[in-house]
Amino acid sequence: MKQGFYGILPFAVGAAAYGFAFGILAAQSGYPWWGVALMSLTVHAGSSQIVAIERFGADGLVIGAAIAGIALNLRYLGIIASLSALLQEIPLWRRLVAIHITGDENWALTLARHAADPAIGAAFLIGSGLTMITGWTLSTTLGALFGQSMPDLASYGLGFAFTAAFIAMARAMWRGLRNIVPWAVTFAVTVLLVKAGVESAYAILLASLIGVAMAALLRRRQKKLESAS
Amino acid sequence: MSPDHWLLILCLAVGAYGLRLAGLVGGQAIIRNARLKTLLDDLPGCLIVALVAASLANSDLTVWIAALFALAVAILSNNVVITMALGFAAMFALQYFGVSL
Repeated sequence: MKQGFYGILPFAVGAAAYGFAFGILAAQSGYPWWGVALMSLTVHAGSSQIVAIERFGADGLVIGAAIAGIALNLRYLGIIASLSALLQEIPLWRRLVAIHITGDENWALTLARHAADPAIGAAFLIGSGLTMITGWTLSTTLGALFGQSMPDLASYGLGFAFTAAFIAMARAMWRGLRNIVPWAVTFAVTVLLVKAGVESAYAILLASLIGVAMAALLRRRQKKLESAS
Repeated sequence: MSPDHWLLILCLAVGAYGLRLAGLVGGQAIIRNARLKTLLDDLPGCLIVALVAASLANSDLTVWIAALFALAVAILSNNVVITMALGFAAMFALQYFGVSL
């Protein structure tokens, strides 16, 4: 477990910078520092938290913010599922804690180390997860404390920091040319719907689903072409 | 904090843990389900693109220019914090120097 605790440190530092920035934004949208700490400790999902806070700030709708945040977390189904063999070696209560403290970084590092040395397993995942959730909670709380003492940044275009964060997240999710058509369709449909006066929460959801359907269609066509040739 | 602030934390916490728990219970069945895999692979990307589009839709040209700049930074750096900082700086500079397009 100790090995995991220290092994993940470089990644925890990277996540802390992001956490600090998130804390500032959350404080500016009305969350006290202890509210940010509570959210980070109980949710423990960076991109989901940032998306939800932006949506909540944009239209004040809890349901829209929650759906967007939770939908972004769907990847955890796959992440935790891929750990199922590794988690079988520990008692149930530890498994229930381990899945909460698992994030992108310590999941990836644990699987990479496990591939090189099968002795590395659940203990490493838990050690590295404890470092990650501690770093995440501390950095977001510090960011919130800092953000509370700053002047109202909204008038200086603070909202754009969220947009920039989303652009960077999209860049990280880019998987090559096959993304172009679904993403372009999603982008265009969202802009059209919002311009037409549709509530942005619904526009985002509807356009994303159309994009996913488009991606599925393209994938099916690709498979057909491959089997035909 | 207002009741809505509390409710949002509760929804996100239950949603995040619920998905993790479903992953634990579903295990290998989830990994083997092709249709679910498509959804898991494609939804997050489309959702993020839609979020960018929604925040740009009713903005003026200045914001679109800052967004293009942020996209260039994101492509080069592939780093969220650097993109946020430089993107915000660009937006601030465009407004400060009174660029109205």
